[in-house]
Amino acid sequence: MMNYFPDEVLEHVFDFVTSHRDRNAVSLVCKLWYRVERYSRQRVFIGNCYAISPERLIARFPGVKSLTLKGKPHFADFNLVPQDWGGYVQPWIEALARSRIGLEELRLKRMVVSDESLDVLSRSFTNFKSLVLVSCEGFTTDGLAAIAANCRFLRELDLQENEIEEKKNHWLGCFPDSCTSLVSLNFACLKEINLAALERLVARNPNLKSLKLNRAVPLEALQRILMRAPQLVDLGTGSFVLDRDSDDSETYRKLRTTILKCRSIRNLSGFLEVAPHCLPAIYPICVNLTYLNLSYAAGIHGSELIKLIRLCGKLQRLWILDCIGDKGLEIVASTCKDLQELRVFPSDPFGAGHDAVTETGLVAISSGCPKLNSLLYFCQQMTNAALIAVAKNCPNFIRFRLCILDPTKPDPVTMQPLDEGFGAIVQSSKRLRRLSLSGLLTDRVFLYIGMYAEQLEMLSIAFAGESDKGMLYVLNGCKKLRKLEIRDSPFGDMALLRDVGKYETMRSLWMSSCDVTLGGCKTLAKKMPRLNVEIINENDQMEFAPEDSQKVEKMYLYRTLVGPRKDAPEFVWTLV
Amino acid sequence: MLLLGTLLMGITSEQHSSASSIDSSCNPSAAAGTSSSSFCAPIQSNNSTRFDLSTDLRLGLSISSSYYNDLFPTPTTTTREQPLSWPPIRSILRSAHLDKALDQKQAFLFIKIYMEGIPIGRKLNLFAQDGYDSLMTTIAHMFPTTILCPGADRVHSDKYHVLTYEDKEGDWMMVGDVPWEMFLNNVKRLKITRADRC
Repeated sequence: MMNYFPDEVLEHVFDFVTSHRDRNAVSLVCKLWYRVERYSRQRVFIGNCYAISPERLIARFPGVKSLTLKGKPHFADFNLVPQDWGGYVQPWIEALARSRIGLEELRLKRMVVSDESLDVLSRSFTNFKSLVLVSCEGFTTDGLAAIAANCRFLRELDLQENEIEEKKNHWLGCFPDSCTSLVSLNFACLKEINLAALERLVARNPNLKSLKLNRAVPLEALQRILMRAPQLVDLGTGSFVLDRDSDDSETYRKLRTTILKCRSIRNLSGFLEVAPHCLPAIYPICVNLTYLNLSYAAGIHGSELIKLIRLCGKLQRLWILDCIGDKGLEIVASTCKDLQELRVFPSDPFGAGHDAVTETGLVAISSGCPKLNSLLYFCQQMTNAALIAVAKNCPNFIRFRLCILDPTKPDPVTMQPLDEGFGAIVQSSKRLRRLSLSGLLTDRVFLYIGMYAEQLEMLSIAFAGESDKGMLYVLNGCKKLRKLEIRDSPFGDMALLRDVGKYETMRSLWMSSCDVTLGGCKTLAKKMPRLNVEIINENDQMEFAPEDSQKVEKMYLYRTLVGPRKDAPEFVWTLV
Repeated sequence: MLLLGTLLMGITSEQHSSASSIDSSCNPSAAAGTSSSSFCAPIQSNNSTRFDLSTDLRLGLSISSSYYNDLFPTPTTTTREQPLSWPPIRSILRSAHLDKALDQKQAFLFIKIYMEGIPIGRKLNLFAQDGYDSLMTTIAHMFPTTILCPGADRVHSDKYHVLTYEDKEGDWMMVGDVPWEMFLNNVKRLKITRADRC
């Protein structure tokens, strides 16, 4: 019957189908649906910028308005991918600019962005509204100046954890006086800012809902900004420090009064520098908070932290440092009954770990917060008993990432590997999509993962397993696996080559410091022409007549429709 | 105890007891040429078998966090080629906390300092010092001797002393060879030793 509806009707129905996966599924039904879907698609997500080319994107989706692109592999976050590996956005922006696509939104993650790219972007799309850059690099504040100056209808400029070279150019002042459309501005990753320009910008943008400041914005300026923007929903403070002398008590008093008026704030972050005695100024808004991110606030600990947490009864997401301790987590468990996401970061990654969390804190959280579905937990140690208890208390995990700081530490009570504990987690959380393992682990944990983790899409493995069987359990069992990243584990060619077709069902596979050899990788590349099998060869270990039997230090393979990339640096070899 | 010592130090020494199968080529400060890993892996490099924990577990030893700290010592001020990749946190978070820990005005690092021949020691707040010069000046006010700086001509006499420290591995080292931040991260205690003993 659907064939007798005009295309407009189909299109209208498809408007209600918003997720990328659902739209992809719609496009596979028949040629008619493929055609209608592609012309009406506005939002496109490309998880690996090397899997497809900009030209093919434009050819298929001429109406695209919002593009998300991801570049480097995830382990690039941890310094495992060398500089100049790739992930350049320039060819994408050039192609989109040439084609007269009406781009309005660009979201990039782990890509290399140049000032020239930002300049071309700012000049080529008259309706450009939103730029989100996460963990990107390669540009300076000159590029930001171009965006500010040229994007007349800019609504969102969100810079998350990028490496940006800062020039003396006061880019924020490049926003023209006519710019009054900003809704979201985040420059927390910068070191400097022009305060006067910032205050004027906030004053003329009454729709600003999300504002994340950097370290260079002192408390006095924060107070003035909040006076202008009491409608904020999302606030990232900059520096939250006042000296204890009497001159500043006036500033503190003004801040308290101003904050009382900011009744809409639901998300609070920042505190890049903080003096604990200033914290009571934010107590009045704690009761409304649903998201609190204190992962950069190393200056708050112990009793001040606990006082703060006790006021945040409605928290759904909490990002915190491990100096909260197990006792602090018990307070979280008794206060934050709606907690869904918890991230506990290491405050002293290189230290002896005096302030840290253990399995005790995690068990307390799981008992007090049954809605918990997303966890990132850096800890000193973990036990099987604790994991089994957590699995029982919280059967709804979607993301479960555990990082024991000593990567091969067994259960300290029983001295056993943590296979049973993780096994309990995957068995109980049937909707688990993302898992990171750590601690002493044998092949058995992978047997459990292969058996139970039916929805698993992303798995991160470090220092785990005993033999190829481990990796095979995962590849055979996890039907929905999309991303697999493995480091320092004894998996070799036998596991790699057993089911070569599997990799075309996945986005990518990363293996570093494992047992795969050059010969194994070559065999795989030969059998699977639609995979790019890339070897990263940093230390010239393979310079002189590399032998097939030699182990490969870093391998990254991914499915692609466009063959070997042409921008690979000399230390990246694409095997064919 | 010997094996534990080997565990803690075996990563930097070439020889190790035959009871353990630690990969001796793991040295975070060695340039490429030993391990082809981009950082120090406690488990394996390209050429060796996997680290066998069973011996150590039988001996009742566990790989403690001090082992981990020896493998992944101070970060940004080292001259190693490769930045750290463990624990898996982003560089931005890593460096934010390192800076925080070091210029925390409220924080302190009190360590014991003894002078040879004097049984009662003193305590000294290292975070209150700006660097080696400041440290030497402070110590000069606390103890009745002249401390020779590293690099000065060694005078073998009981009138002069040198400043040494015990590091996380339990070794006694001369103060002043490594960058200040690295020293702060590794020092456990100080001792003023006679110059003719060094």
